[in-house]
Amino acid sequence: MAKKRVVVVGGGLAGLSSTMKLAELGIEVDLISLTPVKRSHSVCAQGGINSCNDQTRQLGDDEWKHFDDTVYGGDFLNHQPPVKEMAYWAPKVIDLMDRLGVPFNRTGEGFIDRRRFGGTLYKRTAFAGATTGQQLLYALDEQVRRREAEGMVRKFEFWDFLGPIQDASGRCRGVVAQDMVSMEIRAFPADAVVVATGGCGLVYGRSTMSVFCTGSAASRCFQAGAKYANGEFIQVHPTAIPGSDKLRLMSESARGEGGRVWVPRKPHDSRAPRDIPDSERYYFLEERYPEYGNLVPRDIATREIFDICVNDGLSVDPERMCVYLDLTHIPKAELDRKLGGILEIYEKFQGVDPRVEPMRIFPAVHYSMGGLWADYVRSHDGGLEPGAPRNHMTNIEGLYAIGECDYHYHGANRLGANSLLSCIFTGLFTGPSISNYIESQSEGFEDVEASVLSDAVSKQQQRHDHLLSANPDSDENPYLIHQELGDVMTRAATVVRKNDQLQNAIATVNELHERAMKVNLSDTGSWSNQNVIFAKSLQDMFPIAKTILQGALQRDECRGAHFKPNFQKPSLTAEDPAERRRQAEEWCDAFEANNAKYLKSTIAEYDCSTMQPKLSYEDVDTSLIPPRPRLYGLVGADIIEEVWKERAKAKKDGRDLAESTS
Amino acid sequence: MIALDPAEKKRPEFIKVRVKRQDGPGKDPYWQLFQIKYEPELNIISVLQRIAALATTSDGKKVAPVAWDCGCLEEVCGSCTMQINGRVRQSCSALVDRLLEENDDELVLEPMSKFPVIRDLIVDRKRLFRALQRVKAWVPVDSYYDMGSGERQLRSTQEQNYPLSQCMSCGCCLDACPQYGKIELEQREGESDEAFQARELEAFDEGFVGPHAISQAMLFNNHPTGKALAGERLDALTGPGGIQVCGNAQNCVSVCPKEIPLTTSIARAGRATTVHMIKKWFDR
Amino acid sequence: MSDSSHEPSFFLKHEFAIRRLHSLLGIIPLGLYMVVHLTTNASLLNGPETFQRAVYLIHSPGKLLPLIEWGFIFLPLIFHAGIGIWITKNAHLNSGKYQFTSNRRYSWQRWTGIIALVYLFLHIMHLHGGFHAEWWLAAIDRFGLGQFRPYNAGSSLVLAMNLGYGIVWPVIYLLGVLSLVYHFINGLWTAGITWGLWISPQAQARATKVCVVLGAILTVISLSAWAAAVFPSDADAVEMRAVEDRMYEAGVESGMVPEMEEKRWHDSSEIEEEIEIEENVQVSRGQEAPAA
Ligand SMILES: Cc1cc2nc3c(=O)[nH]c(=O)nc-3n(C[C@H](O)[C@H](O)[C@H](O)COP(=O)(O)OP(=O)(O)OC[C@H]3O[C@@H](n4cnc5c(N)ncnc54)[C@H](O)[C@@H]3O)c2cc1C
Ligand code: HEM
Ligand code: HEM
Ligand code: SF4
Ligand code: F3S
Ligand code: FES
Repeated sequence: MAKKRVVVVGGGLAGLSSTMKLAELGIEVDLISLTPVKRSHSVCAQGGINSCNDQTRQLGDDEWKHFDDTVYGGDFLNHQPPVKEMAYWAPKVIDLMDRLGVPFNRTGEGFIDRRRFGGTLYKRTAFAGATTGQQLLYALDEQVRRREAEGMVRKFEFWDFLGPIQDASGRCRGVVAQDMVSMEIRAFPADAVVVATGGCGLVYGRSTMSVFCTGSAASRCFQAGAKYANGEFIQVHPTAIPGSDKLRLMSESARGEGGRVWVPRKPHDSRAPRDIPDSERYYFLEERYPEYGNLVPRDIATREIFDICVNDGLSVDPERMCVYLDLTHIPKAELDRKLGGILEIYEKFQGVDPRVEPMRIFPAVHYSMGGLWADYVRSHDGGLEPGAPRNHMTNIEGLYAIGECDYHYHGANRLGANSLLSCIFTGLFTGPSISNYIESQSEGFEDVEASVLSDAVSKQQQRHDHLLSANPDSDENPYLIHQELGDVMTRAATVVRKNDQLQNAIATVNELHERAMKVNLSDTGSWSNQNVIFAKSLQDMFPIAKTILQGALQRDECRGAHFKPNFQKPSLTAEDPAERRRQAEEWCDAFEANNAKYLKSTIAEYDCSTMQPKLSYEDVDTSLIPPRPRLYGLVGADIIEEVWKERAKAKKDGRDLAESTS
Repeated sequence: MIALDPAEKKRPEFIKVRVKRQDGPGKDPYWQLFQIKYEPELNIISVLQRIAALATTSDGKKVAPVAWDCGCLEEVCGSCTMQINGRVRQSCSALVDRLLEENDDELVLEPMSKFPVIRDLIVDRKRLFRALQRVKAWVPVDSYYDMGSGERQLRSTQEQNYPLSQCMSCGCCLDACPQYGKIELEQREGESDEAFQARELEAFDEGFVGPHAISQAMLFNNHPTGKALAGERLDALTGPGGIQVCGNAQNCVSVCPKEIPLTTSIARAGRATTVHMIKKWFDR
Repeated sequence: MSDSSHEPSFFLKHEFAIRRLHSLLGIIPLGLYMVVHLTTNASLLNGPETFQRAVYLIHSPGKLLPLIEWGFIFLPLIFHAGIGIWITKNAHLNSGKYQFTSNRRYSWQRWTGIIALVYLFLHIMHLHGGFHAEWWLAAIDRFGLGQFRPYNAGSSLVLAMNLGYGIVWPVIYLLGVLSLVYHFINGLWTAGITWGLWISPQAQARATKVCVVLGAILTVISLSAWAAAVFPSDADAVEMRAVEDRMYEAGVESGMVPEMEEKRWHDSSEIEEEIEIEENVQVSRGQEAPAA
């Protein structure tokens, strides 16, 4: 058999697990990454990675429940077969990572220790100190280094992926990438290409993500014709530290241990926080939710903090939006014992001791559930068909998408500690699929016509040269445009979404896009020119930004991370039981009607001539677990649930009857 | 430490930032002075971001933005290493307020000293990763198929290994180590890229592996399966540029941002190589 | 791991063994020798007899002495010093920039190595003379070098120290000796890490304490040795010589000390006479025995 070669773009958890699996299958890999793969964004993940395990099994847990929690958490927007497959693979993934040397925390007896994470009742989450993502990434990085030493892997680090190469039939035959040091642009012919380039947090300016998470790679595939799905689903974490360069994650446990959230009642009170008397402090969570206080669920905390700053103008800092998260009433010794680690992070980056001075926090963009659309082949038992070439292939033949940059697994909202799992799982699982795809092809990477390669390169070279020279008189600065983009996106398309704001944002973003297309660069050199690399990724943020905004605008409902107050389903108001029951029936009708309309994946295709995405909708495979309402905190939840269960039972009985009679 | 209250502590209106620049490998370095507005809670990354957006020196000259490298911005990725006020460290966790306490005159930014400069503050740290290959810093598993879990490990083993496993390959330890020299080669006229790379690797492989790699070797020698390569790792550590080069200056452990117990690893490696060497002599 | 056929140099290939040997030699025999040597010298404080007896003891192997001297001192020293210089040359001292204690100690290890090199060269020239060719000794004697006479141990040492206004040599010795004490003791500590004796930071801190104590003791000994050689005046030396001469005569008489005039003190004019008269002695002097 001839040599096989795959280009993997991106060296996070997804890209590295794919690379190592492909190398094991005897396929040579060219691994392309913006940064040395060991520095990929996956290192930032702290919490852990989920799987059902021997311990939880004995408490009634199983893979199916993990699957169920995931789709329920995702508000049923996730196609179920891939999620099911992932949940059933999860224990194997942990086992493998254990064998690869990940120093998971251990129990006294030497088993892998677990903790509980949001959205589940079971202790499913394996963790390695507070740096699980880092540890997982390093284990994979080490295996890839081993394959590199064997000659199966060539790394191209500090290379920017510029776009896929497609032949006349549309099949992806490789990629074009640029050396960020020498600025050389060159073609990498391949039998298949895997894109594993992570999230797109930088579209929002600052987020909890790394600076590499521009989404540019996904956008370049999008612009080349790949579909982008569920773009509007962006997860926002309620408590992050708003640094001027990055929003760093602050663990929820600070509130769990008694942290109080407040702002001064007087806007932009210039007094030091400790000089503001209690009567002039607005403990808004405690006042608005007397029952839950500061421990309201994540999404509510996020919305309220956002609301206080954006709509009430009560941000603590006039320049930046933030509120106080106050721990200073708790004795220092207790703080050190319970929260030492996370307080040190705050102190390290803010230079302020949170034991003495309230922390400043604000919600921050954290994860993109959406991403490149990818196919799959359903197996007879409702999972994925192992080795089927179409698993995770985008609509461009031979171009695969895995990891955070694909859209499967997390639906409308991601469960904590599931993302690391989905990244590693997709990397491992797609190996045989890609291998089989390559076997099914008559032409390999060595047969790509030279003109196909050179055309692709010269197209990118033109773009590059144009950027350097075309706008000598413009005074558009890419860094400033990026700031503006981030501001617009953060205001309109994070926590609370309103149609008028979204419309305004679309207009502004269109304008910014045009300005971004004629930036004038202060560096026009041809040696490690970061200016031009950044300008390109900035330009490529716009297709994604527009998709997010457009998708959000068209989705008139609340689902998972997508929250539109104007389309919120109301609580039940009636006191009378019969009336209440009737309202519940109505509620369920409305829920079903809404699902019929909106329980669909948003599919975007990019039209390069109009520079706009075109949206369409695709049904979601919910064949394994029928959708049910998420009722947390709603008045009348109990009765709605009752009604819903009756309906579900009736439906099931009807189906069973139909089956038995047929 | 209590918050820097702008009313109590006098802060300058502007901050002077002196940057050592270099346009490319082999070019002469030169200094440029920038001035940015003081803001509270700045770190060096935000300072550099301001300079990039400004791209103007303190005397108003338009210049190419300073090139630098960063990633996570929370001190876990290892990208952003540079010398700040003469000391190597991560720039994302270098807070301007703290730096001004040490030296309120100006901030001085220089690239790392032991790696070839690519441009301005960006250096080429390939050698650091190559060292990890030299000591075979991986677990030699049979396959990536599902073979059940790994061996059980005592908590104490995990607690010994976890800190070592946090090494983010930033290179601070190498830059501060007086035994670690810079290796910078130039591509010869007519030499192919491949030939040049091969020559570079040869040079790397004769240079000091560095404390980070010694520590990784100890990490994997302490892993139930990783042990399988223990002998090969010790061979690498007793080969050219191995552990013997260490002169116990112990700067490595002092500057490591992850506080990795490097000198403990070095001493452990010292003992392991001693035993290994004696065994080899007698087993021959 | 290297992909090509390139062979590292002999030195690089055996660098590990060479560095370990370097480390070992620094302790045994060099460090050990220094301790014994300084203790012997310090015994002069107890009077010229004690010192002279010690020197007789050291010189008792007679013809074997040169072998011991070369095998256990000069060759190891040359090896250790040579490699030491190479190590120092390749170091990138940076204790100005990184002022951590251990880094300063590291730098001092190198500086004291260099000081030791200079000192030991001067020291051996000063007392021992280096080569034992008569013409050489005669020549350097004019510059006040090659001054030690084993059978007039104490007095010749004191006189030698008092050459050069009685200040130049004492200063050189003080600097050299203290440097070497530091070099040896700090070297002991680093060798403990090199060989893997003390591993954890706690163990290394304890080892530091032990080394400080050892260093203090050795400093006292070395200062005693220094003082014993430096403080007596020329007049004291004449008195010492009388004692030594008596011991020599008694020793020769009882057969305990081989008769070797060349190991005794003579006026320089006397030496020149001897050269003319006794050809045979010239030859045998070429391989003179060490002092204490
Ligand atoms: C602060 C934080 C904490 C988190 N904690 C958890 C957690 O506890 N549990 C959990 O399950 N998930 C967590 N997540 C989410 C999880 O970390 C990510 O979803 C996951 O790491 C994504 O991995 P990836 O492999 O898809 O992409 P990444 O790790 O982002 O890697 C992307 C790769 O693509 C490369 N790349 C990008 N663009 C280009 C281009 N144009 N050209 C070439 N290469 C390119 C990059 O260099 C990089 O190598 C967290 C996320 C954040 C932000
Ligand atoms: C106050 C300190 C010292 C005094 C008084 C002293 C004295 C002497 C004397 C009297 C000799 C004999 C010379 C000869 O035999 O011709 C000698 C030789 C020597 N000394 Fe010292 N010494 C001192 C310190 C040191 C130190 C610190 C070292 C370091 C190791 C050292 C190393 C040597 C060596 C290598 C020789 C030559 C060896 C030989 O002759 O065999 N000395 N010293
Ligand atoms: C004559 C010139 C000398 C020079 C140039 C010299 C140089 C050095 C240097 C550079 C080192 C550091 C080695 C390393 O870090 O790996 C060293 C270590 C050492 N030296 Fe010397 N030295 C000299 C003489 C001596 C003498 C006379 C002694 C004994 C008294 C001695 C004892 C030691 C010891 C014990 C070590 C420690 C070895 C280790 O760290 O493993 N040295 N020397
Ligand atoms: S050991 Fe510490 S200083 Fe060295 S590379 Fe690793 S993290 Fe950086
Ligand atoms: S600084 Fe260098 S000399 Fe050794 S102890 Fe650390 S590696
Ligand atoms: S940017 Fe990652 S360590 Fe500083």
